[in-house]
Order: sequence, then C-alpha cells, then structure tokens
Amino acid sequence: MTTITSRPDIGAIRAIVARDLCAVRRSKAVVIPMLTVPVLLMVVLPLVVGYAARRASRTGARIEFLDSLPAQLSDPISSLPPEEQLLTLVLGFLLAPLFLIVPLMVSAVLAADAFAGEKERRTMETLLHLPVADRDLFIAKFLTGFLPAVAVSWIGFAAFTLVANAVSWGIVDGLVVPNALWLVVIFWVAPAVATLGLGIMVRVSARCRTTQEANQLGGAVILPLVFVAVGQSTGLLLVDVPLALGIGAGIWLIALTLVIRGASRFTRDRVAGNS
Amino acid sequence: MALHEPPTISTRALSRSFDGRIAVDGLDLDINRGEVLALLGPNGAGKTTTVRMLNGVLTPDRGEVRVLGLDPSTDGDEVRRRTGVLTENAGLDDRLTARENLEYTARMRGYSLTEARTRVGTQLDRFAMTEVADLQTAGFSTGQRKRLALARALLHDPEILFLDEPTSGLDPAATREVTDLIGSLAREQGRTVLLATHFLGEAGRVADRMAVLDRGRLRALGKPDDLAAELWDGVPADLDLGGPVDHAVLALIESVDGVMRTEARATGATIAIRDRATMARVLATLTDRHIDVFGATIRQASMEDVYFALESSFAAESQ
Repeated sequence: MTTITSRPDIGAIRAIVARDLCAVRRSKAVVIPMLTVPVLLMVVLPLVVGYAARRASRTGARIEFLDSLPAQLSDPISSLPPEEQLLTLVLGFLLAPLFLIVPLMVSAVLAADAFAGEKERRTMETLLHLPVADRDLFIAKFLTGFLPAVAVSWIGFAAFTLVANAVSWGIVDGLVVPNALWLVVIFWVAPAVATLGLGIMVRVSARCRTTQEANQLGGAVILPLVFVAVGQSTGLLLVDVPLALGIGAGIWLIALTLVIRGASRFTRDRVAGNS
Repeated sequence: MALHEPPTISTRALSRSFDGRIAVDGLDLDINRGEVLALLGPNGAGKTTTVRMLNGVLTPDRGEVRVLGLDPSTDGDEVRRRTGVLTENAGLDDRLTARENLEYTARMRGYSLTEARTRVGTQLDRFAMTEVADLQTAGFSTGQRKRLALARALLHDPEILFLDEPTSGLDPAATREVTDLIGSLAREQGRTVLLATHFLGEAGRVADRMAVLDRGRLRALGKPDDLAAELWDGVPADLDLGGPVDHAVLALIESVDGVMRTEARATGATIAIRDRATMARVLATLTDRHIDVFGATIRQASMEDVYFALESSFAAESQ
C-alpha cells in the first residue's frame, strides 16, 4: 500500500504526537477521566486509608490476617515492630496493586481518542492524505497513548510516594515506598500494562466509529482485566523480584503481540475503507 | 501542455469494491497538466473512492493508475508529497486553532518550525484568515472551515489538487469565491485540479472538461459544450406554469408531436423539442386545456440539461 522507508520519519511522528496531545489537553472529556482516577487512587485513597491505618497502628495490635499467609509472604511484615505492620501492609502492599489501573485506564482513554476519536471527528482522512507511512502513523498514534499513560503513572507514583510516606511519618522507621518490588512494578510492569491497554483499544477502535463506542466496548474487555490485574498483583507484590519480572514479561508478551497485530492491520486501505 | 506530454493523471480499467458493492468500475481517465476536470455525479457515484485511489489511500482491486508518472499504490508517500487534498468534510481538529491546524500539518509534511510558520502565515493572509488565526475552529462557519482546509491543501504548493465537494454547505457568495479561486489555481498557477462535485454550477464555471460518474461507471467525458451537443438531442425549452406540474400535465405535453422529453421543475417543466414549431403546438395544447402558461423560453442546452439527460438514460438503463 505505502512504501515503508527503512527509518521512521521522526519529524512527522513527533508532529502527529504533538498535535494529538495539544488537542487532548483541551478536551475535558478526555482530561477529566484521565486525571480523576489517578488522583483518587494515588492521592485521596492512600491519604484516607493511610490515616485510618495510622490511627489503628497506634494501638500496636497484631494483625491476625498475617497468620493465614505463608511464612515467606508474611515474614517481611511480621518481622516489623507491631505499630509499623498495619501501615506497611496497607500502603506498601495492599494499595499498591491499584496502581496498575492507572496506566491501563489512561492508555485506553487516549487510544480511543486517537483511533476511534479521529474517525468520529472525521479528521482521520486528512491524515491519510499526508505523506506519512502507515507504520509511522501507527507509531505516532501508539505514542500518543503510551507516553502520557506512563508519564501519568510515574507522576502518580511520585505523588503516592509522598502521601504514603507522609502519612506513615513518625510511626514507620524509614520509607514505606518505594522498595525493589515497587520499582519493578513502576518501571517494568506499568509500561507493559499501558501497552496492553493500547493493544486492546487499537483492536477495539478499528471496529468502532465513535470514542464512546470504543470506550464502552474497550471497557467491557478491560474491566475484567483490571480485576484480574488487581487480584494477581496483590500476590505480585508479596512475591520476590524475579517472579515480578517474569509476570511483567508475560504481560509484555501479550501486549506486544496485540500491538504488532494491530499495527499489521493498520493500513490506509483498511482505515479509509472503514471510515 | 507540451506536445506529447503524458497525462498528469491516468487511469485504466480502475476498479474498487467494498464488501461486494462496486464503488468504481473500470474507470478510464486522462487528465492533463493545468487542466480542471470536474468529476460529476450524485452521492455514491464513486467520486471520493476515485480520489482516494488516485492519492494512494485506497488500493484498486483492478486496473492501473499513474499520477505524476508514479503508481500511488506503491509510491503513495511520494504522490502525496506532490498533491493537496480538500476532503468533503474539512477535517479540521476543532480543539485546535486555525493556525495550529495548519502548522501541525506543515510539520507533518516535513517543514521546519520556522518554515512552517512562514508558510502558514502566508496562507492565512491569502485566505483572509489572519484575524481568526488564533481561535479554535469549533466556532467557525462552513465557509471559514472550507477556506482554512483549502489553505491547508495549498501549504506545500502541490502540483495536483484533489478537491472533494469544495463548495458543499457554502452560501452562494462563498461558493463563487471558492470556484473563482479554483479557476485561478489552474489557469494562473498551472496546477492540475480534479474537482469532485455534484454541483453543476461550479463544474460549469471552472471545469475544462467534465466526467460524469454513475454507480462507479464513467458515463460521459468531454468538454461541457461537446457533451451537450452529443447527449442532448433536440432544443431545450423551459415552460413556466406557475408551479409544480403533475404527471397528467407532463403526459399531455409529451403527447404533442415533436416533444422528445419532459422533466418536471419547481415552476413548471423543462422540455426537449424537435424544433421551434413544436413550441407553438405545445402552447396551443396547454391553452386549449385551460392551463395557464406564464412563460416559455427556448434556449441553448446547459450543463444541467446534459446532466438530467444522462440521469434519465441511467434510470432507463437500470430498469
């Protein structure tokens, strides 16, 4: 269909990403959900739950729930002084899995806007008539979703780190977060999850004509994954680093497979034929 | 055009279908450098699909295309570097300002920031849009949107312009403004223009030749006057009967010896007659039946007559 030059046209890709992000910044329908969920999960929730845990920690009571876990999972927390255990468990482990919802959701919202939204606004055809290779168009659209998803996740994590350590200040000796597992999640698993969200939405958006339709259909696919991710990553954070790296690799594998298949189907002919 | 210069755009047996529905069927077309060709036809005739195939956006199922000597299916990016397109919908991102819409397009076309700004400034001036350049396009009128989209299509001085319904949604003054501009782009600046439209008026004003498409097939191609002579047998005449007429009146007119065709219009009917004497018989017949005739005009065949003649023949064929 289109001659693919050996190197991507970085200038064109950068211009498309810049245009899309400029437009997204001005779209309340995109920005509000994109920022509300991270703020709730990374700031409000740790603040409220952490404060409650802080008050409960002052009693110094043992957490009986730890007795039901295998020793290798409960030992890192059981070995702490009693007043530190609840705060460390809640902020350092139990809330942490929710973090993975952020890259998944942000990438999905932006991908819906970048692919289905472009069709809905009837601006896709203008792009198709430009001298930009199919592959470069796809890369640009992918980055439009991926870069903000990772950026929001990392900024959200920085905010979470501040809140979590501030709430536990004076009770926990040292920092609750980050620890080695958190770093794996932030820098390895979160980008994989963002890519997974994009991979799903690229496929979904190809079948939809509006952003709303894409979000609804995408939500039906992504929500169960969110529950699975939350459930699984609770365990992830209680296991060791190599296993966390392995789980991340598994997510990367699925995500990249979806993205590569999406890219191979992203041709001008298909896109124009569906618009 | 230089002697023996190959056509700027050439198609042979160009065909494309979607899910079994034929959009373009065996299109043979040559367009020369500096020529304005109007691709005329109703909605769904295959005009947009043709433009998309010429610009390498869609791949033909069958046939050959050459644009500037290149095959858009394999050299799409090179073709698109040298063409400018105004899509039917202006395709502006309403969350961006007029200037941003143009600047980002210029950057996507590979211009540096400085050059992009210079070109955008020039186009905004040219299309009298400098005052609204920093407003988001969401509040723009259809005319402003079309002008801005045309400015965007011309940012890179393309050799070929594909204009898909450039005047749809415009008021008469804006339509005249756009058609005048299209004419000057070809005549003064030597650009080749393919004008896909279903408006006869603009096609008649600016096109050197017109090609009529119907259900994907090329039904007529030629200079407007030649087409009129070839397709419109008889003399066209307009009858002003003070309002729309029913089938009975049309049948009555058709029964007059020498009447070849009738077509109902808002104020009466357009008819094709063998000669001037036929008109006298038509008037006598109508007057005998106490049907008021407010006016009768015999004239030259127009583009509209040609178009309606073609439509009648398409309808007859499909039956």
